[in-house]
Amino acid sequence: MRTFAPLIHGYWYLLRGAGMTLLMAGASVVPATLLGMLFALGQIFGGRISRAAIVTYIFVVRGIPLLVLLTFVYYLLPLTGIDLPPFWGVVLVMACYYAAFMAEVFRAGILSLPQAQWDAARGLGMNRRQMLWIVIFPQAFRLAAPPFVNLCANLIKATSLVSVVGLWELTMASREIVERTLAPFQIFIGAAFLYFCMCFALSRYGKYLEGRVLAGH
Amino acid sequence: MPDTEPGRMATMPRLMLEMRGVAKRFGANEVLRGVSLSVPRGQTVVVIGPSGSGKTTLLRCINMLEDYEAGIVAVDGVPIGYAVDEKSGRRQRMAERAIAAARETIGIVFQSYNLFPHMSVLSNIIAAPIRVKGVSRPQAETRARELLAMVGLSDKEKEYPARLSGGQQQRVAIARALAMEPKIMLFDEVTSALDPELVGEVLAAMRQLARDGMTMVVVTHEMSFARDVADRVVFMDGGVIVEEGPPETMFSTPKTERVRQFLKRHNDRYRI
Repeated sequence: MRTFAPLIHGYWYLLRGAGMTLLMAGASVVPATLLGMLFALGQIFGGRISRAAIVTYIFVVRGIPLLVLLTFVYYLLPLTGIDLPPFWGVVLVMACYYAAFMAEVFRAGILSLPQAQWDAARGLGMNRRQMLWIVIFPQAFRLAAPPFVNLCANLIKATSLVSVVGLWELTMASREIVERTLAPFQIFIGAAFLYFCMCFALSRYGKYLEGRVLAGH
Repeated sequence: MPDTEPGRMATMPRLMLEMRGVAKRFGANEVLRGVSLSVPRGQTVVVIGPSGSGKTTLLRCINMLEDYEAGIVAVDGVPIGYAVDEKSGRRQRMAERAIAAARETIGIVFQSYNLFPHMSVLSNIIAAPIRVKGVSRPQAETRARELLAMVGLSDKEKEYPARLSGGQQQRVAIARALAMEPKIMLFDEVTSALDPELVGEVLAAMRQLARDGMTMVVVTHEMSFARDVADRVVFMDGGVIVEEGPPETMFSTPKTERVRQFLKRHNDRYRI
């Protein structure tokens, strides 16, 4: 029990770090999802120029590691004169980064619906907006839900990278405790457990959604 | 203009559907080659012909699910898809919104039912009347229940499509199309995907509709249905209408060799 004393003493600090991780992930997921949807719709229904711009954006972002992007923006923002608090700077980068992946998830969801569903909606006199909201989105989101939840779990884990640019969250909190206690194994086992709990809960939710999709409704 | 409604074609008022010189190609493949077809109000026209003859494309052109390169289609005198400019005589594509509005007057039922799987039977039927036509929910539900009773599925309104048989799904699809109070109904091989035992229940619903005076264009391989219900039978092959006439003439004394061959082959295949 004495071996895990540093972890027991530091658990509250770690939990606060986990809370910050969740807050950061949550704040990033919302704009990432909205941007991802916009990109997906732009790719499917947009004109040639907007399609090309979105495809290029996705292509470029997917080819850059998140850590490189975070560091780049960390140094770039002060030069541009934009005074953004570090938390929101990180949220901005994470949202733009994950929007590229979410766009592909939503696009795949929408395109995987059979043409027959579009035909049926059009055959009933629905215009494009009605077709999307009544028929396409509800089904496409169900299809996209499992990979979407997967991406969210990925995003939670990716927040560990932001400690590099000095933002405080679970990984940073763990490192601080380690510096005081010199007990890296115990503390990082604790941090890993907290990351696992967050992602496990999400993946269970993803499985539940997948089950509903397979059930047909 | 003979009518007050803007955009109406100068056409015989008794015609519910008028197609003139409709042509459609998929790449190099000419699927429809200047097809003209008129259906008077309240009549049932059955379109028969071999696979690939253009029957389904013809039906899909009527409500612009398939765009076409030439010709004009009008339902109850109102053009669908393209309107002819009176001065230049050129046809002009209508705005998407106008096309969508025009489709409200045309019901279509597909071979593979195409019900919305995420909605219950009742929701499938009331979605378009409420959201597209602006009918109130209680009114839409009352009408939906009447239609479900008509197709014999009153006890299924809460079910989801995945839990229904093919025949039941197809009858829900018919009810869904009727809920929009269309002026004309299009049926695209609606019994082709069904078990033989389930065909009868769908055809019975269609017979009832024909008796009630609904204008219908039916693409089918069900010759007995064509013989019993059709006011006129149209035979298509190679993207053109080869022959048309009343069922008694078409099935007993067809004028063209092509129709004779087709019917002989069909009868040979289905003779037990």
